[in-house]
Amino acid sequence: MVTSETAVMDEKKAAILGEIPRLRRYARSLLRDRDAADDLVQDCLERALVRLDNWQTGESPRRWLFTIMHHLFIDQMRKVNRRGEAAMLPLAAAEAVAQPSEQMESIASREIIDALQAISPDRRAALVMVAIEGFSYAEAASILAVPAGTLMSRIARGREELRGLLDDTARRRAIRIVEK
Amino acid sequence: MIRRDFSERDIHMALDGELPADERAAYEAWLDANPEMKAKSARFTADRTALQAAFAGVLDEPVPARLRKVVLGEAPVKVAMPRSRWWLAAAAAVLVVAGGLGGYLAGIDGIGLENPAEDRLAEQAIAAHVVFAAEKRHAVEVPASDKDHLETWLSNRVGLKLVAPDLTANGFQLVGGRLLPAGESKAAMLLYEDDKGQRISLFVTAQSAENAKGTYASAQDGPRAVYWLDKGYGCAVVGSLPREQLAIVAKSAYGQLLAGLAS
Repeated sequence: MVTSETAVMDEKKAAILGEIPRLRRYARSLLRDRDAADDLVQDCLERALVRLDNWQTGESPRRWLFTIMHHLFIDQMRKVNRRGEAAMLPLAAAEAVAQPSEQMESIASREIIDALQAISPDRRAALVMVAIEGFSYAEAASILAVPAGTLMSRIARGREELRGLLDDTARRRAIRIVEK
Repeated sequence: MIRRDFSERDIHMALDGELPADERAAYEAWLDANPEMKAKSARFTADRTALQAAFAGVLDEPVPARLRKVVLGEAPVKVAMPRSRWWLAAAAAVLVVAGGLGGYLAGIDGIGLENPAEDRLAEQAIAAHVVFAAEKRHAVEVPASDKDHLETWLSNRVGLKLVAPDLTANGFQLVGGRLLPAGESKAAMLLYEDDKGQRISLFVTAQSAENAKGTYASAQDGPRAVYWLDKGYGCAVVGSLPREQLAIVAKSAYGQLLAGLAS
C-alpha cells in the first residue's frame, strides 16, 4: 500500500534526522574542521538515502548510519594513502590563529583535540566510538568491521598514544614557562 | 568475589563499562594494590572526561540546513563523487603537525595536491635521510669536529653561504655533513643526533625558483620532511620524530640557516 510505504519512509527519515547531531560529533572528532566534518556527514546521509531499503526496520539507525559514515571515512583515508598524495600544508596557514569555530575551545580542549588528530585514523575511530559515542565493544567492533581483539588493542594503543602526546605538550609548555 | 589476575587491559575494559559487575570489586582491590596501575587508570579516566567535554558542544549546535535538506529530499541526491573537501582534510590530518598549530585547516582550501618542485625536494631529502642516517660509521663525509672546513666546503659546492645550525637547545648535536646530488644540482646534507641516537637531517640546495613551505611524508610510517623553498634555495628537515617536535626543530634550524645565508 502506497500510504503505508510513505509512512515507513517518513519514519525512517525522521529517525535519520534525529541521528544527525551524533553523526556530526563523530565526524568532528575524526576530522576536526567543522565544514569538512559536515561534508562527510552529508556524503553519509546521501548514501544512506539511496540505500534506505537496505536498512531493516528494527535495526538501530545509529549503528546503520555510523557504519556507513565510518566506511566512507576509512575508504577515503586509504585512497589518499595509496595514491601517496602529499597533503601540502603551508606552515603559514598552520600557524594561523584558530578559526572562529574553534574560538570557544578551551586550551585543554584544543590540546586534546589536536592530540586526537595526531593518532592514527584507525585508533582514533575506535577510541572515539567507545569513549565519546558510548558504543559497547561489540557494537563498535561491528560498526568498524574488525574483530573484538583488534578493537581492544586499537583502543588501548590509542589511549596510550593520546596520553603520550598530551604529556609531550605539557612538558613543552613547562619548558616554555621556564624559559620566560 | 571473583578472583583472577588483572592487567592493563582491564583498565580499558573498566573505563568503557565492559568489566563484568561481579569482577568490579576484585578489580578495585587490584588497583589499590598497584599504585602505578591506579595512576594510569586515573589518567585515562581524566582523558576520557576531557575528550567527552571537548566534543560535547557539537550535540547542541543547530543542524545545518544543508544536512536537513538531504534527508528531507529538498536537495537533489548526488551519489557520483564524494565531496572533495573532507577527504582533503583527512589527508592533511594524516600528516599535519599536531598541537599548537590549531586552525591549520583555515588555509586548506586551494592547496594544490601536486607540486613537483616541492615533492622532489622533500623526496630527495627523505631518500638521503633513509640511506645515510642509518649508517653508523659512514653517515657523514666530514665530521662535526671539522665544522669550519665542513661549512666552507659545502658552501662552495652548493653555492650558498651555509652555517650549520646549532640545535643543542633542541637536544641535537651535529654529527657532520656530506655532499649529495640533487637533480642537476648539488645538495648539502647535515646530520644531527640526540643523546638517544635519534637522527635528523638537514637538506639544503641552491636550486629553487619558487616560494613554498609545508610538510611531506612519502609513507605514513616513514620519516617526514618539513621543507621550505624560496627564491634561490630549498631546505628540508627530515626525521622520524613526533610531528610536533620535528616542526619545532625545523623552525629553529630554518631560522639559523636563513640568518647564515644573509650573513
